[in-house]
Amino acid sequence: MIKRLQQIAQWFDDRLHLTKLFESTAGHHVPKSSGSWFYVFGSGTLLCLMLQLVTGTCLAFVYVPSADEAYLTLEYLTYQQPLGWFLRALHYWGSNFMVGIMMLHMAQVFLFGAYKYPRELTWITGVLLMFVTLGLAFTGQVMRFDQDAYWGLGIGTAIMGRVPIIGSDLVHLMLAGPIIAGETLSRFFTLHVFILPGTILALIGVHLRLVLAKGINEYPKPGVVVKRETYDQEYEAIIKKEGVPFVPAAISKDLVFSALVMFAIFTCAAVFGPKGPKGFPDPTYIQTAPQPDFFFLWVYSVAALLPPYTETFVLLVGPVVATLALFALPFISNTGEKSARKRPIAVLTVVVSLLALSLLTWAGIRSPWSPEMTAWTSDSTPAAFLKGRSPLELQGALVLQYKQCRNCHSLDGIGGERGPDLSRIATRLTRDQLIRQVIQGGGNMPAYGKNLSPAEVEALVAFMLTLHPSNVPPVRDSTIPAQAAL
Amino acid sequence: MRFFCRENWGQQLRQATALVGLLTLVSGCDWMPGKPKPAERWQPDTAITDFANLYQTQCAGCHSRDGRMAAARPLNDPVYRAFVDPKIFRQVIAQGVPGTTMPAFAQSAGGLLTDAQIDILVQNLLAGAESDRATLRLPPYRAAPGDVQRGAVAFQTFCAKCHGKDGKGGPTGGSVVDPNYLALVSDQALRTAVVVGRVDLGMPDWRGYVSGRPMTDTEVSDVVAWLISHRKK
Repeated sequence: MIKRLQQIAQWFDDRLHLTKLFESTAGHHVPKSSGSWFYVFGSGTLLCLMLQLVTGTCLAFVYVPSADEAYLTLEYLTYQQPLGWFLRALHYWGSNFMVGIMMLHMAQVFLFGAYKYPRELTWITGVLLMFVTLGLAFTGQVMRFDQDAYWGLGIGTAIMGRVPIIGSDLVHLMLAGPIIAGETLSRFFTLHVFILPGTILALIGVHLRLVLAKGINEYPKPGVVVKRETYDQEYEAIIKKEGVPFVPAAISKDLVFSALVMFAIFTCAAVFGPKGPKGFPDPTYIQTAPQPDFFFLWVYSVAALLPPYTETFVLLVGPVVATLALFALPFISNTGEKSARKRPIAVLTVVVSLLALSLLTWAGIRSPWSPEMTAWTSDSTPAAFLKGRSPLELQGALVLQYKQCRNCHSLDGIGGERGPDLSRIATRLTRDQLIRQVIQGGGNMPAYGKNLSPAEVEALVAFMLTLHPSNVPPVRDSTIPAQAAL
Repeated sequence: MRFFCRENWGQQLRQATALVGLLTLVSGCDWMPGKPKPAERWQPDTAITDFANLYQTQCAGCHSRDGRMAAARPLNDPVYRAFVDPKIFRQVIAQGVPGTTMPAFAQSAGGLLTDAQIDILVQNLLAGAESDRATLRLPPYRAAPGDVQRGAVAFQTFCAKCHGKDGKGGPTGGSVVDPNYLALVSDQALRTAVVVGRVDLGMPDWRGYVSGRPMTDTEVSDVVAWLISHRKK
């Protein structure tokens, strides 16, 4: 029986040359030193992509990319179809892990100098893969057609619209019209399930072909420098001397890591579930605080924290410079040391980038700059700020709620965080300064002069003048003599 | 050819079958903690019918979480709940009080609440008020302002102790004749304040200004007239 099967296998192999194919691909020889735990991230990313393809295809069986039905099908998947929620969760967590592991892969390649001669094109296709992956992540966020998707798109198009001369045409191209509508969703669906996955598969083909052609980077040793004249012979010597077939010798760690990644994705999906859908994408619902997905939170922070006059410049020039820098990297540092131990600037670059991204992401999670649209009707005035107040001051406390000051200003730490907390405002601003600030605004605060009657301003200021701790006197106008103030 | 002739492939097949079986078993149980609960399902604010939720999101800002100590009138005051006319109470929530800090909540008036939601608020806020109304024998909710001269006298009797002889503020009460204050409150709010007081802030109701001597209906109307006379014309 076994013999018979072997014969059949042999017959096929003679015609399909599977063994030859295997030997020149999976079985090709790699430096023994590359069988390291640091070399597992590339295959981990690839595995995530496979999971995304499978789960994405399954989702596409149910999902209807139309403005009317997308949200309904998401709800159906999440709440009605057996394990539909788990499928959505797998796709969501798969994308998070894919972006995360891809970034690890990139950092590792950078730190190990693997982008240097002769692997420049491998790096460049890798950078392209990163852009396509982020493109998939962004378009995927739009597939979850809820309030986050709607406003995320709005921000994306607002950035595009700032491009000089062709800005409005770009917006039109991106949205398939002047506004976010059903056509927009069709367009993003096409990008997300046809164009970008096709591109990514083609690019991975090139990327892996290059890995095979130019070999996997040997584990760098401090002091061993890359020279264009001698490197190829040196690499050949390494392969001859200590080369091992990738399968089965070097792949074991990749397999273990892949298993861990799968386990982590399945666990996250099972424990934390899918994201959203968070509200029907109707722009008339303003009681929403949209946030992008995890991997774009840092962009969200940057956009929120930039000083207004730098916005257009940074948002348009920044990505171009960053892209050019990534493409130029293998040509700028083409030879020399590979080991991170001898490349302090490279290590510093990674550490600083990681810190910046983490801090911006953390800021994005907290997003204290977003007004709390419901604070004015839901966050009570703390009782301590009401005791012993006069009728006018109490009316001022009400004006503070009614005019929605609370959406940006907290009292006793409760309320919006866009503006400063007002609990001790009387220790910082005098009556005149308070009136001026309320009426004219300034420092990112809108002017409320036209929205407040004189009586409302008087009441509001009277209330704010009571906001100081009992042991700290309110601030005094220096132009008024101390006696008169008392 | 090493790969095609594993001798233990039968064993591997069995293991694979077991694994697939296990996965099927696990996936069959749709119980995992990440499974979204129907209660967490997003719903438009207009679909909320839970009173506590409605009150916390729409009223608590000014009327406080427990309705006892608030910048605006605390709604959990039994005297106030007995005093207020339910029809007007509903109208105030729906349409707001123009010129004051009470906004309109009905969608028809630019707010966010449906008529059904406003009904839920009214029913729950005034629940049980009917029986209190019978026992308390309150002055009527609505009445035309009385006589200003008599009001000045009544003010000295009932209010001056806290708010000062001229009403501009005394030891325990602030000014009630401040034109800015009077510009921000309605005549009805003044009447309600005189009758119901502000228990949360230490102001008694119409029975407690002079102990053993509640204000009469006329006196209430007169004091309100005197207060209104201080409005800027």
